[in-house]
Amino acid sequence: MVIVFQSKPSLIAGGVVAGPLEKRSIFSQYFDANYDDERWQMKTNEQGHRKMVEEACEFAMKKAGVKKTDIDYFMGGDLINQMTPTNFAARDLDIPFIGLFSACATSISSIIVASLLTEVGASNFALAGASSQHNAVERQFRYPINYGSQKPQTAQWTVTAAGYALIGKHQEEYPSIEAATVGKSVDYGMDDPFHMGAAMAPAAFQTIQSHLEQRNQKIYHYDLILTGDLGQLGLKLLKGMFVESGIKSEELTPLRDAGAEFYGQDETFQSGASGAGCSAAVFLSYVIQQMRAGTFKRVLLVATGALLSPLTFQQGETIPCTAHAIEITMK
Amino acid sequence: MKLLGMMLPLLVSLSLLSGCGEKEKVIVYGSPENEKEVEAILKEEDYVDKTTVIQYDNSMLVAVQIKPWDKWKKAKLEKKLQKKFDEKYPSKDVFVSADYKIFYEANKIKREQVEDNKLKDKITKLKKLAKEET
Amino acid sequence: MEKEQYQQLEQNATPKPPYFKNVAKAFLVGGLICTIGQAVSLFYIIFFDFTEATAGNPTVATMVFFAMILTGFGLYKKIGQFAGAGSAVPVTGFGNAVVSAAIEHRSEGLVLGVGGNLFKLAGSVVLFGVVSAFFVALIKFILVTIGVVSW
Repeated sequence: MVIVFQSKPSLIAGGVVAGPLEKRSIFSQYFDANYDDERWQMKTNEQGHRKMVEEACEFAMKKAGVKKTDIDYFMGGDLINQMTPTNFAARDLDIPFIGLFSACATSISSIIVASLLTEVGASNFALAGASSQHNAVERQFRYPINYGSQKPQTAQWTVTAAGYALIGKHQEEYPSIEAATVGKSVDYGMDDPFHMGAAMAPAAFQTIQSHLEQRNQKIYHYDLILTGDLGQLGLKLLKGMFVESGIKSEELTPLRDAGAEFYGQDETFQSGASGAGCSAAVFLSYVIQQMRAGTFKRVLLVATGALLSPLTFQQGETIPCTAHAIEITMK
Repeated sequence: MKLLGMMLPLLVSLSLLSGCGEKEKVIVYGSPENEKEVEAILKEEDYVDKTTVIQYDNSMLVAVQIKPWDKWKKAKLEKKLQKKFDEKYPSKDVFVSADYKIFYEANKIKREQVEDNKLKDKITKLKKLAKEET
Repeated sequence: MEKEQYQQLEQNATPKPPYFKNVAKAFLVGGLICTIGQAVSLFYIIFFDFTEATAGNPTVATMVFFAMILTGFGLYKKIGQFAGAGSAVPVTGFGNAVVSAAIEHRSEGLVLGVGGNLFKLAGSVVLFGVVSAFFVALIKFILVTIGVVSW
């Protein structure tokens, strides 16, 4: 079932903060700040991660002209165990807090919850988003960052970025959130954590297809359908699935992937970017700004996430994935 | 760059071929007795590539370098050679070693033309070194 | 779309790893590391009182030292991305595994952090190395006792 927001909550502002390597991103001009130290001068990577979340929220609030005390809810998550960077940032923000985990799809799942709260009238202003920090994630999911392992071409690079949106009651001049689809946990038998694009593409396909069907729409109704972090190969597979379902490949031009485009053609990053911060950073800077400039009128943002842990991989399990989508329009 | 490209194969092959020259295979230094005999024994063993023998009074140090493919059996061949020398010269104190360090030091002794007492000390020192395990 | 159909699609779309190129790169880099090791060994034999038999210890220590320096400066992972097994298999790879884990876990203190996680990656190497050495020695012992081979 698709959620249709009758009151059309507004995406008032987006605050995006990124690390030093992300200066090489083609989207870096849209970010609010690009820092030189991935630890934000803190002692550990995890503390830097927390600082990054706080900074992103500060930017969002400043751009919207609201104070911490005006905000009703803070929603967010990250990839670290028990989401401690976000929990600790919430401590400093001092706002009623709901932590959410959808892996790299957290940016959209938290925006969906924030929009629902706004829709029922429980919230005037809410902060929603997600973040990821490369070093902290690598240490948890893969190997120590200085370890000399060889990553295959299908691997993706976890970005160091945080993106938080300020969701509020409907206002004409801002992008409106019209509808949302909550994704299922989809498992097509992929088991390679170095090839997550292949694992996530079926989830993205299901969510997009379900949303279009329920809303009686086709792909050409949208100026942009942007997935979070399928990477170059994942995007190829997604398009392949649409073609198999009967859609001609010429009609797939609105379909793009933030992770695939994030670092441009730089081969150091193999198949592209990933991480909860990837979708958050691109959706809440590039997309919002382009919508306000008039480039996009109707956009479907689909954040994708792989719901695995290092333990499940060692235990020989496959990788279930999810994808959440929101439909945003601009007059 | 082009000149280097032409010269490089030539230089490489020259440096590789330089190792093919006939070098002195057997060197005996120290007291001149038994020189021919020792040389003959060593030339007989076809797994021996190069060797340097240092002798003084009643002690003899035989430092050999085994041929590459036979190096797999280095320890066994060393023992074999030791036994052969012990049988041939039971009155002498012969020490055989296939270690490169001993060979290198033996060559150094010959090069520096070390004499008499110092020679005796050096041989004892080398024997002790060869027996070390760690 | 059915699971099997998707898996077929995925197989076709995923590029094959360049096995031949990877093998060549691993071979060259591994060989280079071993050549450097041989040079270090010769250095100890010629300039110090080490024999071929005893030069192994300082050589390994020196190679691990090099690996430590390269790991600390973040260069070993660049070599690793290029060479794969060529840099992971020699003892420098072992050094890299231990040192990178140590650097990573410094934030949790020396005892639980560094001490507890030092052999996170290299532990398997140590364990299975010792266990297989034991079994090989046992097999040889049995064969010698039967009389098939000699020590």
